[in-house]
Amino acid sequence: MTQIGAIFWAQWRTLYHFYPRRGVAWSAVVGLIWYGLWTSVAIVMLRVFSNPTQIPVIRVALPGGLLLMFLYWQVVPLLLATTGSSLDLRKLRAYPIPDSQLFSIEVLLRVTAGIEMVLVLIGITIGALLNPALAKWSLLATAAYVTFNLIIAVGLRDTLARLLARKRIRELVFFFLILAAALPQLLMARRGLVSPQLQLLMARDSWEGWPWTASANIILGNRLLRSLSVLSAWTVGALLFSRWQFSRTLAFDADAANASSSETSRRSWWIEWFYQLPSTLLKDPLGALIEKEFRFLIRSPRFRLVFLMGFTFGLVLWLPMVFVPRGPLGEFFVQNYLTVVCVYSLMLMSDVCFWNAFGFDRSAAQFYFLAPVSFRRVMAGKNVTGLFFLLLEIAMVTAVCAILHMPLGVRRLTEAYSVAAVVMIFLFSAGNLLSVRHARAVNPANSFRTSAAGRLQATLFAIYPVVFAPVLLAYLARYAFGSQTALFVVLAIDAVAGVIVYRVSLDSAVQTADRTRETMIAALSAGDGPIAD
Amino acid sequence: MAAEIPAIEIRDLRKVYGDKAAVDGLTLTVPQGCFFGFLGPNGAGKTTTIKMLMGLAPPTSGTIELLGLPMPGRSLDIKQQIGLVPDESMLFDHLTGGEFIEFVGRIYGLDRSTARARADELLDLFELGYMPKKLIAEYSKGMRKRVAMAAALIHRPKLFLMDEPFEGVDAVGARLMKDILLDQVRHGATIFLTSHVLEVVERLCERVGIIHEGKLIAEGPMSEMRGAAETLEDAFVRALGMEHAADTLDWL
Repeated sequence: MTQIGAIFWAQWRTLYHFYPRRGVAWSAVVGLIWYGLWTSVAIVMLRVFSNPTQIPVIRVALPGGLLLMFLYWQVVPLLLATTGSSLDLRKLRAYPIPDSQLFSIEVLLRVTAGIEMVLVLIGITIGALLNPALAKWSLLATAAYVTFNLIIAVGLRDTLARLLARKRIRELVFFFLILAAALPQLLMARRGLVSPQLQLLMARDSWEGWPWTASANIILGNRLLRSLSVLSAWTVGALLFSRWQFSRTLAFDADAANASSSETSRRSWWIEWFYQLPSTLLKDPLGALIEKEFRFLIRSPRFRLVFLMGFTFGLVLWLPMVFVPRGPLGEFFVQNYLTVVCVYSLMLMSDVCFWNAFGFDRSAAQFYFLAPVSFRRVMAGKNVTGLFFLLLEIAMVTAVCAILHMPLGVRRLTEAYSVAAVVMIFLFSAGNLLSVRHARAVNPANSFRTSAAGRLQATLFAIYPVVFAPVLLAYLARYAFGSQTALFVVLAIDAVAGVIVYRVSLDSAVQTADRTRETMIAALSAGDGPIAD
Repeated sequence: MAAEIPAIEIRDLRKVYGDKAAVDGLTLTVPQGCFFGFLGPNGAGKTTTIKMLMGLAPPTSGTIELLGLPMPGRSLDIKQQIGLVPDESMLFDHLTGGEFIEFVGRIYGLDRSTARARADELLDLFELGYMPKKLIAEYSKGMRKRVAMAAALIHRPKLFLMDEPFEGVDAVGARLMKDILLDQVRHGATIFLTSHVLEVVERLCERVGIIHEGKLIAEGPMSEMRGAAETLEDAFVRALGMEHAADTLDWL
């Protein structure tokens, strides 16, 4: 019991320390709002479920509602695991704790990750117990459904955690997770493709073999024995699966998993050729600087994921608006989807390409101040690298659109590339300044994006309208004059102005870096780096 | 009788990653009450060996016995008697130093008040008590090693397994840690440590083993290892066959 108590205490302390320490009052207010919201949902559920006239609504909505709870319960622990606020029980392997005890603790710790769902289920349970039209089985159904969710959450989390510990596979897993989050929107838009299946999963008449349908049936008093058997079978299955996955996780050796044979780790000639491309085209030290950036970025899981997302997630996110144009902006999206997707992919790449150019390879920033090379050249090297990958990203977006037989055409391509070029000039101008003024350490191995500091976010909020203003002006010109030429004329003027702004901002960034080098290096040495991780 | 049982007995231990053997046929015996230094260049297999001893990595083949008990067969009984100064990543970053030490004490079965009292004393001893609210994530490398060492001591173990305990620790901290470890050995504990700081190993350890490319290439009492007029560093470099490595570059 001492051990279990100690582990729960450590989890509580970890959560307590995890969130920014802005004082007890701040935590209390945030907690009150968040849990107050979920308590309100629970009260609403209680009122709905206790009202006999709502039975038809309950019958339709309950299985889908329980499915949504299941999804919430499974996703939140994954997020907590990746943010580090969840205690990593694998670190306890070195201590004298039996594996079975660790598993029980892990299951119980899942409660903390889904406390909101527990509140809602309590509301449903009490409501159902008070409803004279419903059988009094809701307590049993809730207890069984909570148990099932807690147990399966361990197995799913462990499976995913092991996948994420493997090089390269982790980017693919993240990619599919993010894509999965965006897919429903696309599928809903393409009505008739998958929508019926989705509807079936959510609706009252969904397959009785699902655990959420079985739980709903128990609460409603339908086919009690069969539903109980189904839920029990799912729970036993979840227990077996999660125990198996948990033992595999405990025995998991990340070094062994990531070890490659000498044959597979032999570098392909073409990737080496790609790395050395800048040195072939440019003289040192610029060539060497850019080659180093190429090597570092391509080997960074975070960069690879963002690059992959740029030409996939961006399309998945925006294409529904092309398929099903709605409202006054609908036609605009249809006509300008390529421009929108290209600019959106630039936004996705922002953190790795320009907003925080020194944050990834923070030790290199220190080297740049020591090395006999001007800081202007270093920043130019960073910008050339960023420009290369942004252009590559846009080319990939175009290629994917071509593969999907989306309408392209010379006009669309010219417009999209021109707009992207102008946006890039202004983004690099602002990015150079922000990179030296708001430098922050980022872990290149961490595929999940952590949000920027509050001050930086506020600055970005103010900067984006300024960065996009020249392009908006060009579109206004097209609208006012009703001519595509007007758009390109204004874009050309924007580009000239952008080059001037870029030169001024580069000078300013170099001067700022020289003046604030100590602060910059200190900022890059703290926080979310590989050591802190 | 107990004194005859070695603290550590390793037989033909192997750990293979991909097609590379990180530890290759290691056989080693460390008697109880011994201060043992396990040396080797980077990537030699020291950390992999210590991870296998701690039960953190399963061996590919071979056997390990700690305090006469087989690992992993009696792992719980073994773990109850060992103190660990592991790799830094094994610390809980979002706990304060005091919370971590108390937590480890409770995991080893100390009651809460005892664990807390000892944690406070250890924090003061290791000069970490002046910033009780600082999280381990905010600690420097040396502070992380200190807190790991403090946690290893809380349950008065019989055997210490330490991976680079002096790495990043300042002179005062290192001196304190050395004094504590020597005191533990005087009271009958066994210490198995890896370190790159050969001066420290030379001053503390009675026996030394040198591992290179996964194989034990030398092992014995300190006096035998360093010979008549040699330092441990000379003996170490000679054992690795790297005496004239710097001469290979003509332009340097």
